[in-house]
Amino acid sequence: MPELQKLYDAVLNGDQKTAVAVTQEALAAGVSPMELITNYMVPAMDKVGSLFECEEYFVPELLLSARAMKGSLELLRPLLAASGAEPAGRVVIGTVKGDLHDIGKNLVASMLEGAGFEVTDLGADVPAEKFIAAIEEKKANVVALSALLTVTMPAMRTTIEALKQAGVREKVKVMVGGAPVTQQFAEEIGADGYSDNASAAVGLARKLVA
Amino acid sequence: MAPSDASRRRVLDALSHREPDRIPVDFGGTSVTGIHVSVAAGLREHFGLERRPVKIHEPMQMLGMVDEDLATALGVDVTGMPRRKAHFGFTFENWKEWEFNGLEVLVPGNFRTTTDENGDVLLYPQGDTSAAPSGRMPKGGYFFDAIIRQNHFDPEHLDPADNLEEFQPLPEEDIAAIAQPVRAAQATGRAVAASFGGTGFGDIAAVPAVGLKDPRGIRDVTEWYVSLRSRRPYIHAIFEKQCETALGNLKRIHAAVGNGVDVVYLCGTDFGTQTSAFCSVATFRELWFPYYKALCDWIHANTSWKCFKHSCGSVERFFEAFIEAGFDIINPVQCSAAGMEPRALKAKYGERLVFWGGGVDTQQTLPFGTAAQVRGGGPAALRDLRARRGLRF
Repeated sequence: MPELQKLYDAVLNGDQKTAVAVTQEALAAGVSPMELITNYMVPAMDKVGSLFECEEYFVPELLLSARAMKGSLELLRPLLAASGAEPAGRVVIGTVKGDLHDIGKNLVASMLEGAGFEVTDLGADVPAEKFIAAIEEKKANVVALSALLTVTMPAMRTTIEALKQAGVREKVKVMVGGAPVTQQFAEEIGADGYSDNASAAVGLARKLVA
Repeated sequence: MAPSDASRRRVLDALSHREPDRIPVDFGGTSVTGIHVSVAAGLREHFGLERRPVKIHEPMQMLGMVDEDLATALGVDVTGMPRRKAHFGFTFENWKEWEFNGLEVLVPGNFRTTTDENGDVLLYPQGDTSAAPSGRMPKGGYFFDAIIRQNHFDPEHLDPADNLEEFQPLPEEDIAAIAQPVRAAQATGRAVAASFGGTGFGDIAAVPAVGLKDPRGIRDVTEWYVSLRSRRPYIHAIFEKQCETALGNLKRIHAAVGNGVDVVYLCGTDFGTQTSAFCSVATFRELWFPYYKALCDWIHANTSWKCFKHSCGSVERFFEAFIEAGFDIINPVQCSAAGMEPRALKAKYGERLVFWGGGVDTQQTLPFGTAAQVRGGGPAALRDLRARRGLRF
């Protein structure tokens, strides 16, 4: 039996090689994917989030931990799908139309995955109709919209309007974020929540699906 | 009427922490204090200036040239020094008309674009449309973003030379081409701000190397950020060689232009986010500080140039290190970011650092506020930053 604490440490320290190796060993030894996620990976990413919030970790450390976590998740995802295990929530995420920036969005997506959410990442420059199609297809209960630019912030409003027009707004909670976005703007455009960093976005998503 | 050298004196007073007769004004002196071409065109119309297409002097951000007549109308005190080449690798020459969202503008001859199936405009390195495009402006957008062209690399065998292709000794023709624009800039009576290139360490806007046809090394933005933590010897090797080359270039440039330049914009690497930072101060001191200090030390020992650092976001935590490294000027002083309260900044650093910016909130007030809020928002912050220092853009 591998030492599973090493998986926690590998994710926390952003060591993808070790994270993948321990995951492989654990699966070979019969450890269930949910045990690895629930007892080691989610706590590790929670710790990463708290280190980020108290400014011991910064963007590079967050990216490395997310990479380590994803390495393991790639091995676990097919097994989870086969077992029918339910995720913490289903999130569709993307940077809105006209905006090509994706680092912040990628960080939020990774942190949500690390917290046990099923995340469908639509990328950057995403038109409203693509969000709508993904909500329907993935049966999402959260939509996360990102914008880095003041000139693309209005696309958050039009995306939410399009969700209403398409009759899917009531099926999902909408959370928004990005450097120029504020709580006040989120309220003005009718979003359900706003977060100013990737770690806090996890707490927000958990609250929205509770 | 061209300004007397009262403008330059005004700026030099502020840079020397002496009381200027009024707050100096900069619109367009550097690539980080520029104005969008559509704004430049609108201002020309507002002031009733000659109707003509505005030149794009920085294609990535689509910055418009502030010509002499507009500079005079705006009361600008700083003049920029046009660069010979754009970030996209083509030379500013053979100007031609180009339509940007219905506005006729002037772009260099090798500003070559295509439009993809989504209506996005693609721009090519060195004007070579047979190369992969390196810039994308989304349909209806205002500027170009870098297209990431990350070739496969072996993490075990990274060669710093691959990330140094764009940091080379300047060709003699580039050095020779600097002297005339400096003289022309001096003749305006304004302070002269210059950016000679090659001195930005790990500026994330430059990492994708939009001017190279086939960039090698680490060019993906996320991979670069990861490398700052996981591949520090590699980053040090890049910065060390880049610094050595930059010092060589600065020496040759100084030999050509002397002290005809007042301010040199060195680096635009952003260390701040809206609420936090991209790295710790300890990391900054380990990874960037030695190279910044080497450049600033040489400049201060050999020239009268003032060293200009740009960093958006919440960066107050870095100010002591910036000052220690030798930076004289910080821009843009993003007062809307955490810990960037102007009065506190002035009290703590006002005697040691010049605040080049700190005007209106460009994230909320400028794009979404009323005209009255814009008028009120800028001066309020400026009042707090002023008292003998502070430049506005």
